[in-house]
Amino acid sequence: MVMVNGEQEYGVVGQTITEFLTQRSAPIENIVVEQNGNIVHRADFDTTKISENDKLELISFVGGG
Amino acid sequence: MKEMQEPEIQGLMINDVYQGMKERNVKDSTDKLAAAHVTIAGAGGLGSNIAIALTRIGVGHLTLIDFDTVELSNLNRQQFKLSQVDMPKVVALKQNLREFNPFVEITIHQVEVTHDNVKDLFADADIITEAFDNPAAKAMLLDAASEFYPDKPIVMGTGMAGIHSSNTIITKHPRKNLYIAGDGETKGAEGLMAPRVMIAAGHEANMVTRLILGETEI
Repeated sequence: MVMVNGEQEYGVVGQTITEFLTQRSAPIENIVVEQNGNIVHRADFDTTKISENDKLELISFVGGG
Repeated sequence: MKEMQEPEIQGLMINDVYQGMKERNVKDSTDKLAAAHVTIAGAGGLGSNIAIALTRIGVGHLTLIDFDTVELSNLNRQQFKLSQVDMPKVVALKQNLREFNPFVEITIHQVEVTHDNVKDLFADADIITEAFDNPAAKAMLLDAASEFYPDKPIVMGTGMAGIHSSNTIITKHPRKNLYIAGDGETKGAEGLMAPRVMIAAGHEANMVTRLILGETEI
């Protein structure tokens, strides 16, 4: 089990950040991902895997300014 | 022989103008504000309004970054004039800011912010202020700023479209050195208008001001 924005989520352990975001149909380019308190840099999305008990925070941006 | 005259602005002694303009600032804020360097990425609806607020209170050094030129469609919310259409936004904004407060040092860069130039563009900033329209650019800047300048505060905006309640726009503090103002939801495609964009810009400008004056809580 991992925590995603404070909610429990199952079945995502072992996925890369890219796989995880793609599966949620999230607009990857508009999102910054925090894993256990550290920001996962975009260049590392394809290689960073989600581990059991991870805490993920997805910081999403919408257009307008 | 005639005595050396102190320089004048509009017939007033320069120091009297400076002091007079600061008279209603919060006590003991002026020197800290004057010593601060804030870099604003984006000079549109958010950036132009943030820049005006920070200029009026006398933030000592502002750096403005935007690749774009002023268009007619900007004028419903961005602090430019009809006479400035087609000018580079950073040039037009600097021109306007100088009229509000000539004591602010203003540096401009007409360039698109990319991951590759973040390190150079924000090197001398005390506080990074994000004021883009494009959500991918917002995410890119947070990503790059956290890589190159994890210890610099970054103040951002997301969600200020439509005519929804003013009171849904708030400032959040999701992690150390990160502040995000907006409703977090409404997208630009819904339409963007001065009143609500200015609320978000006000949130960002006030957070920047608080940070300069030592307040790190929202």
